[in-house]
Amino acid sequence: MKKPSHLLGLGFMLPALIVVVLFFLLPVFMTAGIAFTNMSTDTGITGGAYELTPNTIHNLRTQGVDNNLLAQLETDVYRIDEPGLAALATDMGDKLAKELGDTHGGVTFQSRRELERAIKKLKNKPRSTRKLKKAAAFFKRSILNQRFETESEFVSATRNLGLDLAPEHQEVLSKASYTGWTWTTENFSLMTKLPSTLRIAGNTVIYVFFTLTFNVSFGLFLAITTFYLPGKAAATFRTIWFLPRILPPVIYVLMWKWLTWDTGFISTFFGQFGVPAKNWMLDTNFHAWVVIILINGFVGASMGMILFSSAIRAIPAPMLYASEVDGATRWQQVRYIILPQLRWPILFITSYQTLSLLTSFEYIFLATDGGPGKATEVWALSAFHQALANYGGNLQYGYGAALALVLVIIGIIASVGYLRVFNFKELVARPRIEQ
Amino acid sequence: MKSRNFSSLPIIILLALVSLPLVTMYVFLFVDTISDAPAGSLIPTSFTLEHWRFLWEEPKVGETSIWPVTLNTFIFAATTSSIVMTVSLMAGYALSRLNMPFRRFMLAGLITLHAFPTITLIIAIFLILQLLGLYNTLLGVIIVKTALELPFGIWIMKGFYDTVPWEIEMAGVQDGASRFTVWWKLVLPQVQPGLVALGVFSFLSAWSEFILPQVLSPSGSGQVLSTYLNSLILDDTRPDFNMFKSVGLFYAMPVIFIYLTFQKKLMNIYGGGSKG
Amino acid sequence: MTRSLPKLRIAAAAAAVALSLGAGSAAAKDVNIKVWAGGTNEADSYRMENIEIAAEILERELALQGKDIDIKVEGKRDFGKWKEFKQAVQLAAESGDAPNIVVTSHLDIAPWSKAGLIVPVEDYVDMDAWPINSIYPNLMEIASYNGVTFGLPQDAESRPFFFWKDTLKKIGYSDAQIEALPEKVENKEYKLTDVLADAKKAVDMGLVEKGYGFYPRPSNGPDYAQFYQSFGGKMLDKDTGKLILDKKSMTEFYQFFIDAVEAGVTRKNHLGTDWGQWYSEVATGKAALWHGGTWHYARYTAKEGLDDFFGKVQFSLIPAGDEDGRPNTITQPLVYLVTKQNSEEDMEIAAELVKIASSPRLNTLHAIKSAHLGISPEQGNIALYANDRWASEATERLLVHANAQPNHTAFGQFNQIMFKGLETAWTGTKSAEDAVAEVEEEMKAALGNMLIVR
Repeated sequence: MKKPSHLLGLGFMLPALIVVVLFFLLPVFMTAGIAFTNMSTDTGITGGAYELTPNTIHNLRTQGVDNNLLAQLETDVYRIDEPGLAALATDMGDKLAKELGDTHGGVTFQSRRELERAIKKLKNKPRSTRKLKKAAAFFKRSILNQRFETESEFVSATRNLGLDLAPEHQEVLSKASYTGWTWTTENFSLMTKLPSTLRIAGNTVIYVFFTLTFNVSFGLFLAITTFYLPGKAAATFRTIWFLPRILPPVIYVLMWKWLTWDTGFISTFFGQFGVPAKNWMLDTNFHAWVVIILINGFVGASMGMILFSSAIRAIPAPMLYASEVDGATRWQQVRYIILPQLRWPILFITSYQTLSLLTSFEYIFLATDGGPGKATEVWALSAFHQALANYGGNLQYGYGAALALVLVIIGIIASVGYLRVFNFKELVARPRIEQ
Repeated sequence: MKSRNFSSLPIIILLALVSLPLVTMYVFLFVDTISDAPAGSLIPTSFTLEHWRFLWEEPKVGETSIWPVTLNTFIFAATTSSIVMTVSLMAGYALSRLNMPFRRFMLAGLITLHAFPTITLIIAIFLILQLLGLYNTLLGVIIVKTALELPFGIWIMKGFYDTVPWEIEMAGVQDGASRFTVWWKLVLPQVQPGLVALGVFSFLSAWSEFILPQVLSPSGSGQVLSTYLNSLILDDTRPDFNMFKSVGLFYAMPVIFIYLTFQKKLMNIYGGGSKG
Repeated sequence: MTRSLPKLRIAAAAAAVALSLGAGSAAAKDVNIKVWAGGTNEADSYRMENIEIAAEILERELALQGKDIDIKVEGKRDFGKWKEFKQAVQLAAESGDAPNIVVTSHLDIAPWSKAGLIVPVEDYVDMDAWPINSIYPNLMEIASYNGVTFGLPQDAESRPFFFWKDTLKKIGYSDAQIEALPEKVENKEYKLTDVLADAKKAVDMGLVEKGYGFYPRPSNGPDYAQFYQSFGGKMLDKDTGKLILDKKSMTEFYQFFIDAVEAGVTRKNHLGTDWGQWYSEVATGKAALWHGGTWHYARYTAKEGLDDFFGKVQFSLIPAGDEDGRPNTITQPLVYLVTKQNSEEDMEIAAELVKIASSPRLNTLHAIKSAHLGISPEQGNIALYANDRWASEATERLLVHANAQPNHTAFGQFNQIMFKGLETAWTGTKSAEDAVAEVEEEMKAALGNMLIVR
């Protein structure tokens, strides 16, 4: 009996394992890898090529590479020589090659455009732009601005130039010409050097602390107040406060924008009393923080409301009635009977939401996008901005991944800690939904 | 709780006051879509269906019509939800009832993943999708969304299986049925309510998803309503809140409908929480 | 034509087969060309429509050469903002699914060419052929990197300084003085100190609200580099190809905005103002002086309902900040770029389409509809362009003096750090000197040996 059950178990787990490993665990390891690269827009993600550009040559000059050599590499040259003519003849016919050889044999052109102009004057000139470009390419005698997909292609092209190149120089040249990403620990040293790191860390602390405080206290408030209401009224208020959680974030934030925008509700409403219109969301850093905390708080409070409500409902009713008979005020009821029952749910919400707030940025991204200035830029949002969304368009995948990795590590440590606090066995045993 | 000693009126007033901002937003989300108000005033003066024109007007050059986008969103949500249900149904049972190696380890891993900074992994996820040739396809977004929903789904389903009396299975096994048959014939009907709740939950979660389609499927073919509405809002030549709200309401209607139908189940499952 | 007809047919058929790379039959070959345009609103739709028109022309040209090719153009512009667009293009290109043509800022040329996402347009079209040989040389230069022409300029624009005439009159300017203002700016007789003085007068006299004397752009953009230039700052060292941080100019540039806030002519929390609000305020005279872009003309006069633009608004170069600086304006032309594809033929067709779309007639359609400036002096010969007062005056007054930000792989970071520094100074978080010190630190860390500090 035991063996088939093993097989069945693994078989049942297999689809879940595949998906989770492929799109959950693998990304974690890859993020860790990318964090140690200088991957960005200009290095590309999928690997690089070899290309010698004027910029590379400038950089080599400061590294003490022979100036003469660099000068030779720097000039773009087109030379009408025998090998070129022979290649042209096989590809485009003898007539063109012969005419070009006769008129310009041995001549050196300083740019492709000059050579193209010369070819265009020939009687047997190629009749399409594509062929013209192809013809000119046979005579290129420089590797400047030419892209080679592999290092060996690059090296052999360099050799063909006939320069006197020492192996160590060739190596320096190849390395400098590589356009792809390389391994580095620079992201982390940059992180410690940049003043902005401290600012986003501070913002994150503000965000998590205040939102969490709001979530828990307001969740408690909603749970307790609705508990004392008759069924219909309680259900109405619960619905009102539950909707922010299931409404798509884009709409939910749109409603807030409408409320706080300079042409929105608050401005128009106060406009009736002569208060000048302003953007209540982005007016000052303080405004932005209040709005951000409310936006997240209204969503977060409903989770507290639901969990706390069911915990309160679990309190035996006679206990509460008895206390009323004894003349306890509502406040005393809440303080001495209800709150002590909520200790564990509060701890659970606090720890759970600390982690999810730490890594969430969707609502901030949609509402203020970190503004005004960088006032509400939190760590997770900054990672997203660095890696995938910045105005300059030069996406810093490596640096973004390094920022993300910090969150990943915090996440792992915290989850392991939580497993200890919330007695793993008990969690494993406890069903999460009461029917 | 009802009580004769205290009046609930003060509480109702207090709650009504703090709920005012939300209620205002809900009311105007609806009112503004079918009316026009003069500039600088909040009270609508005329009825119009003009703000809903995106439903029937031809899209302009470089824009997308809302209908294929709606279909995409539906496919996205429905597929994600079915895969999450199927996979969780199997894995949850395995974790709850079947003996297998590494069970404890898998359970611990599940809890860890549940509280994991998923969205920060998006660069790596992009790379994987690209290697699989699924970048910029709806299928890619569906798979990723499914993967991110699964730890929660499995956990929930395991919880439901845990409540099914062990005797039901014992009886089946003693009658000579295989474990698989027992699961299929006897256990599944018992967890059906939980399955529906999970299905609705993951449908709503995918229906609302924004960042994943935005990053992983930016071009027309995989566009969904969240990204459609967002780019409409960002397009700064048309700060037309009434139109945004109409698109928003159009987008929100299924959510509200689902909420009204499955209210109780949803309240329960959201207690487990998947977003902060 | 000396050849006989049947022979021509055979030649044409052979060419068609050769071109269709083994499509197998003589039936029309379909080529799908995707065009993605960034930062593009409804008014800029000709960025895509011109490619469609070009496709029709090219189809006819090819048909005459006996090549039966059906080019389908699919345009897309609803990306959200620039950053969403750039993210989409880069990730799509990385996964081999890039659109054939992108319309984007010339600043993307450096990083995208290094990454191999785009191919030089000069590899596919004859640079001596019309209309390419008629495009302004400075714009062609802006579309080049490392001496290679990667793209073709799609439009030109420039970022002028604006004055609300009514307010100027009320603080004591005569009509003649207002008319002479652009010239005074050009001759360095009207400087940024005068801007502050005039703005302060307008605020003190109650003509505009506090904070609305000088009303700058509310978000990051090339516009701010103009003020760096006003104080003599340079961005690129041509000899070494490195970016330059000129600490003196940067400090003065930050200080100017600090002074503006302290004088009460600019709001401390101005940055981050909603664009919609900003447009409606400057177009209704709520601000005395401001700066913006030539394309704002379309927005002011259409959506915001500013009916007599020339009667109400004066425009000029951005005034010089001091004696070392110069009056200037930055143009940030968008460029058509051809992306790397597996099919040589697709890239060739894309390049050809871009070339045709750059012809004066087609470009004029875009220029007039979107209030951008032309890319070629020949557009002055087209009535539609010449008769448009804004296009012709702005070309004359601004475009000739315009320079662009440098094409450099690290310029995006440079610009971002510079703007962040401005923000910290502007909002009073730091003094100008401290902000520049932080900028220097960040730039050195992020740019390393690509930076020269002066």
